[in-house]
Amino acid sequence: MAQQATSATGQRSTGVTMSERIKRVLRARETGVLIALLLMCIFLWQVSPAFLTVRNLLNIGRQISLIGIMAIGMTFVLISREIDLSVGSIYALSGLATGMLLIAGAPLWLALLIGLLIGVSAGAANGLLSTYGLLPSFIATLGMMSVLRGIALLMTNGQPVTINESSGVAPDTLSAFFFIGQGRLLDVIPMQLVFFIAVSLIGWILLSKTVFGFRVYAVGGSDKAARVSGIKVYQTKILAFVIMGFLAALSGILSLAFLPSGQAGRTGVGVELDVIAAAVIGGASLSGGEGTILGTILGVLIIGVLRNGLVLTGVSPFWQEAIIGLVIILAVGLDKWTSSRRRAA
Amino acid sequence: MSKDSAPLVQLRNISKRFPGVQALDRVNLSVLPGEIHAVVGENGAGKSTLINILAGELQPDSGSILFEGVETVIPNAFVSQRLGISVVYQELALCPNLSVAENISLHQAAVDRGLSFVKRRQFAARARNVLEQLGIADIDLSTPVSRLGIAQQQLVEIAKAISGQVKLLVLDEPNSALTDEESARLFAILRQLRAAGIGIIYVSHRLEEVISLADRITVLRDGQYIETLAAADATVDGLIARMVGRAVDMLYHRERDGAQSATLALAVRHLSSGATLRDITLSVHAGEIVGIAGLPDSGKDELVECCFGLHRYHGEIVIGGAVVQLHSPTSAIEAGVAFVPADRRHVGALLMMSVQNNIAAASLPAVSTAGLLRPGAIRTLANDYVTQLDVRISSLEQQMATLSGGNQQKVILGRSIATHPKVLILHEPTRGIDVGAKAEIYRILQELAQQGVGILIASSELPELIGQCDRILVMHRGTITGEFTRSEAAEEPILACAMGQMTHFISEGEKR
Repeated sequence: MAQQATSATGQRSTGVTMSERIKRVLRARETGVLIALLLMCIFLWQVSPAFLTVRNLLNIGRQISLIGIMAIGMTFVLISREIDLSVGSIYALSGLATGMLLIAGAPLWLALLIGLLIGVSAGAANGLLSTYGLLPSFIATLGMMSVLRGIALLMTNGQPVTINESSGVAPDTLSAFFFIGQGRLLDVIPMQLVFFIAVSLIGWILLSKTVFGFRVYAVGGSDKAARVSGIKVYQTKILAFVIMGFLAALSGILSLAFLPSGQAGRTGVGVELDVIAAAVIGGASLSGGEGTILGTILGVLIIGVLRNGLVLTGVSPFWQEAIIGLVIILAVGLDKWTSSRRRAA
Repeated sequence: MSKDSAPLVQLRNISKRFPGVQALDRVNLSVLPGEIHAVVGENGAGKSTLINILAGELQPDSGSILFEGVETVIPNAFVSQRLGISVVYQELALCPNLSVAENISLHQAAVDRGLSFVKRRQFAARARNVLEQLGIADIDLSTPVSRLGIAQQQLVEIAKAISGQVKLLVLDEPNSALTDEESARLFAILRQLRAAGIGIIYVSHRLEEVISLADRITVLRDGQYIETLAAADATVDGLIARMVGRAVDMLYHRERDGAQSATLALAVRHLSSGATLRDITLSVHAGEIVGIAGLPDSGKDELVECCFGLHRYHGEIVIGGAVVQLHSPTSAIEAGVAFVPADRRHVGALLMMSVQNNIAAASLPAVSTAGLLRPGAIRTLANDYVTQLDVRISSLEQQMATLSGGNQQKVILGRSIATHPKVLILHEPTRGIDVGAKAEIYRILQELAQQGVGILIASSELPELIGQCDRILVMHRGTITGEFTRSEAAEEPILACAMGQMTHFISEGEKR
């Protein structure tokens, strides 16, 4: 919402005073998240010399990328007032399918294409069930989460899928595949991060600049208002799910290319919660209509920096989950507790 | 209005059936370009079904629609928009998260290509243009709609409706939240649009307005087409008689003599709350009906909500002789206050629950033992009030959402009375309720007063207050600017007080 209001005014030359504009920026959810992020960084910089090094920062960048790519998709879904719990299963199924195709000798482009198509189809199925199928998306995607996970188990017979020299993949294909997951652009920037940055940019343009993005906000704000204005509500929501499915598949393929191994029973289990958490910390609302790409990126960074910082400062890994949970509650709670929209009743 | 022009839209023998109701039964309606055609009828007469058919939200079971002489099917809102039909719904259809300018341009976003960039500059220009045309200067284009009051939202909705290429404008109670001044501005706009050749369907309960605004008036009753008459030939009484199928001269009539005890049911002393209420002092005797009039931002809403513990306040509230601290609705109910809220659908009714559970909801201790509900007690209690208030239902198990507005309101009233309150506070008690049900609710209120309940009504319908109240207080900007006895009460002085142009108080001698 905040970004909508400012982006609408950003191009208005009259009527908004400077102080009003500054107030808006300060009120924006992103500002709070950014300040929290900066405070965390300053703290870590002080306590751990290893934190503010190019190596560590790029490392964080790589670690957050897979969750980040999916969180961009989740932002679309959440703003349209839906939710997708099946992203972890799409992530596993698409990655494993791509891997099996490569092992079976398929050319790289075909394996990637089919992997991504699986994601797109799963997203379309989620979208159709949640709109024309009249199911709440929580239920539809909860069901799809199990169905897709089951398909992945059947497909792999529960066995791990590992891509390496001995798996029978042609050396050229192998090195190209590994480059997407493990390579570095100009020998510096991890490819996963390059993908995350590209997805973020495209996502940002799509959501905040295009008519489609505008429709996503409208549909999430009030589907009745959108419908009676002639906006195709179902089509908009289905497209949001398709984008989500595509990005979950991309993420899953990148993960396999990085590790380079996956197992249907374990890969991407529970990842949907991190993805939703990142978007929600960044200001996306589960009741729709609110959220921005910038906010989501900040949410992803918060989780990434926090995890990294907890490791650097030697905090027990058992504490990490609890602390991240508290951060989610605090991030959303602070927004609600200090919000002017709070009502007495 | 050009008399010889061909109709813009013609509805022929339109029928629509819902489970258990014939919503429309062979209804005819034709609207000329450059005509304001009013549609009146009680709630349940089929007006909203008719609107939804034109909007493409519903499909008729039979009958045909001719748009500009061509037989047309309107399968969805998109097609309706494309035809040039624009609808202003009573329950507003705005995106609360989007700005004023963005809401006004929503239908542009429906037709633009999905991957093209949003033309925000164009949105802003269009919005500024339309708001200027409506003479609205005090709405910031970049404000999210959720931050606007209901009246401003209504204006935005109207701006949105006329911003596109409109041929047929359909308005459903468009001014229910507007001040008289804003309404007047709206009517001027509608006349301007009429002069520009746009056809307008205007649905309203305010019959005086309808007669002065419209060219022709079509009356519906129980889904049936009754009559179309020229507005010049119409009278309020004549319309009401057609709407209800009988003469209703009982509507604002009151048989009670207004005798009341000296006991105070409610006293409010030096009450202030936030920036909206300043030093309010008032009293309601047992058996007295006191009205509160005022414009939408006068503070009357906050005042009644304060008396039900919904806001923090300074000052003193006395109920039944005891000073009480109302910090929550629970404490207000315990002190003997019952409240019927204005927003029936969202706040008043538990729409998904049965009628009997709705009635019992505020009396749970009385119908339970050790925390376990006693179904028999719930049925007995519900049955008592359904009978007493003459609520029309098929069974006590019927879901609240399936009742008409009037019957829902009676159920909510029943829930309030079931707590045996000393003070009954009603907020817009008959908003959106048809004439017949109104009369019955008034009868119930008079009976309750007779039984000694102190009643406080905040309403924006002056005829209602003047007809029902023993005393009327008028608010302006958070203070009381007028007090009228029953014999003094008249629309003009009350309005003048409400607008802050004069004050009027009852001298001590006249008070009981």
